[in-house]
Amino acid sequence: MTVKTLIASATAAVMAVAAVPAAAEYPERPVTVIVAWGAGGSTDTMARIFANYIGEDLGQRFVVENREGAGGEIGWTALANAPADGYTVGLINSPSFESKGIVRDDVGYDMEDIRPLVNVVTDPGVLAVAADSPYETLDDFVAAAKENPGELSVSHEGVGGDDHLAALDFTDKAGIDVNFVTFDGNAEATAALQGGHIDAFEGNMSEVANQIENGSVRALAVWSSDRMEAIPDVPTGQEQGYDVISAASRGFAVPADLSEEQYNTLLEAARGVIENEEFRAELAELNMPVVPIYGEDFVEFLENNRETLETLWEKDPWIEQ
Amino acid sequence: MQDLLIALGNIFEPSSLLVLLIGTLAGMVIGSLPGLSSTMGVALVIPITFSMTPENSLILLGAVYVSSVYGGSITAILLRTPGTDASIATALDGYPLAQQGRGAEAVGMATIASLIGGIFSTVLLIAVAPPLSRFALSFGPIDYAVLAIFGMVTIIGVVSSNPVKGTVSAAAGLLLATIGMDNFTATQRFTFGESALFDGVPLLPALIGLFSISQAIALTVPRRASILSETADINHGRPYPSLGLIRQCMRTIMKSSVIGSAIGVLPGAGTSIAAFISYNEARRSSKNPENYGKGEMEGVAASEAANNAVTGGTLVPTLTLGIPGNAVTAVFVGGLTIHGMAPGPRLFTDFADVTYTLILSLFLANLLFAIIGLSVGRYLVFVTKIPGSVLGPLVLAFSFIGTYALRNNLFDVGLALAFGIVGYFMERRNYPAAPLVIALILGPIFEVNFRRAMEISSWNWAVFFDRPLTIFLIFLVVAAVVLPIWQRRKARRAARFDRDRHSEPK
Repeated sequence: MTVKTLIASATAAVMAVAAVPAAAEYPERPVTVIVAWGAGGSTDTMARIFANYIGEDLGQRFVVENREGAGGEIGWTALANAPADGYTVGLINSPSFESKGIVRDDVGYDMEDIRPLVNVVTDPGVLAVAADSPYETLDDFVAAAKENPGELSVSHEGVGGDDHLAALDFTDKAGIDVNFVTFDGNAEATAALQGGHIDAFEGNMSEVANQIENGSVRALAVWSSDRMEAIPDVPTGQEQGYDVISAASRGFAVPADLSEEQYNTLLEAARGVIENEEFRAELAELNMPVVPIYGEDFVEFLENNRETLETLWEKDPWIEQ
Repeated sequence: MQDLLIALGNIFEPSSLLVLLIGTLAGMVIGSLPGLSSTMGVALVIPITFSMTPENSLILLGAVYVSSVYGGSITAILLRTPGTDASIATALDGYPLAQQGRGAEAVGMATIASLIGGIFSTVLLIAVAPPLSRFALSFGPIDYAVLAIFGMVTIIGVVSSNPVKGTVSAAAGLLLATIGMDNFTATQRFTFGESALFDGVPLLPALIGLFSISQAIALTVPRRASILSETADINHGRPYPSLGLIRQCMRTIMKSSVIGSAIGVLPGAGTSIAAFISYNEARRSSKNPENYGKGEMEGVAASEAANNAVTGGTLVPTLTLGIPGNAVTAVFVGGLTIHGMAPGPRLFTDFADVTYTLILSLFLANLLFAIIGLSVGRYLVFVTKIPGSVLGPLVLAFSFIGTYALRNNLFDVGLALAFGIVGYFMERRNYPAAPLVIALILGPIFEVNFRRAMEISSWNWAVFFDRPLTIFLIFLVVAAVVLPIWQRRKARRAARFDRDRHSEPK
């Protein structure tokens, strides 16, 4: 970047803020994007890239505001309580967005107060082992676990999260007994995996795709219905006879009372971004699979998810009461 | 070698040098302001890097990172308001020095120590990154748990002439550290339904409250004219530390650089621990341990060499394995990936030119902040002459803005204020605040790693004695507890012997 472009882009930014569109068409001023996680995380990164594109389309800046904490609850509560004037939108993460209300009755937001707009990324779960691990397939792992019940350890990122639920589902279907080890983030978990302190890692694909590619980690399975483009050599669970499907999804949502007109403006603009090849290329670089689910379909997707989780919870609560 | 030459070419482009200068200045300001942490600084500049070349974006990130860790030392010394937890240990001796009118000298020493620590760890990053990252991986949950105990024991002993008060402060911190969502069971502990507490008592509001706000209160209390004590005169203080003094501190600086680099390599161990362990080691091996906490130049050198050595250390697992060493480098990984360079071994082969550009930029940023720091230190020190009634409200305003900016959450501001009031009274009653903050950092590290270790072993306590590394760490803990007691007893016995002998002739 030269000095000239630096100055040019700074000027452009200033003008974008100062410019008032001739016609009073929504959006007339910058739109706040609430991200319920810290800056630099995967949701934040996706949100910022998306914000650049949609801002360009709609002629207004979309400004990311990080309202982190409580596993998303603080940001989602802020989104639920934001004025429904079209100038606040937010990111939601499935399944934690739907599952909180099942486990606790004092969650700060009501799902009814937030209207899902569009799902952008669906990041499937993977079960991975270290490169020097003796296990090559799910069957190897299951056989070893059956031989030594309660000996092998599997990491996940928090009780009740998608990783934990996927690991529970897998061990349940495989009929094995392993030790679940809780980690706060994938950095420490992958370090423990590569250092040989745990036997397997349950997490999301985008978190380990690089390590899978460079050979320091080997994925035994991806919990999706089809193989993923980013890791084409990793077989699905279903291919190996374990019917486990799990993923973490990230998309946009708005306060429930937003006018139909503004909702549609945003939805169409979002469609434009998602269909933009450049945007897709940027997310592919980050190993984030784009799986668009628009409008009412996204609402239905989350509701179905919630029902499945509720049934699961009633059958076998994942948290000891 | 060719890659290194390309990297040299990259960094000496006029635009790269400009980015380096901007990054260094921005980092220094970010680091010195309460509430603007290194993590936040790096996160703030990531969107700016989107439009840059990969080389320039890494130069910017690297420069902001290393100079923000250094920047924290300036306000820690002159105002006793550490901008980040990395500089808490610096304030212990830096601030008394500033009160004595030796602020410029202390800033100079901090600058030189930071420079050496930073350069040392960067050299390490170039020379031995792969074996070092294997060393980092050998630390398992159980080792982190013992390391956290070691840090705890060290800090209680370090900061207080009265170990009982230090322990009380640390215990309060450990109690506060139990607040928050328990990730192992997904249940809440002592949050009283306040969602701002679900992730635990946030560290930075506690840090800002206990140090910056309590200091603002102390400055505004009318009896206090300015930071500079009445008998001191900054015009008599030296603008730079003398060569003799630097030579005297060299051993400590080198030792701290090694400790800082080693701890930096461990993902999740933390900059402040490195600073405190180095500070403790410097005091232990000092001929005048009683001077520590009262304005010992070597204490400043130990803390600053260590916390800047952490910067290169944390990048070792980040660049070689893609495992970020701390929150700052986690943001780094995002920045690298956005530019199509996935962290991992390929950074040293396919993208070696870009990687060396980053490493060189760390070098140059270290040199640059040292030049800037040494040239402005003698002027910055005049801040200690500003009347407390002016300085106090200023510090307060920055503290509130910084705290709010962290999470855009008003609860945090109230929390910081509460910590500020508590901190003010702790200070007056000689209860050190540092053990509380460090316990807030180390408590969760100990808890989660201990529980992880127990989950892995199905509650088999023998894991403490399974591996030589763990046993070695346990040995360090025992030594850290026993040695000071033994030394004190020996000193007392010697004193008694002395007294007896002197009284004999009568």
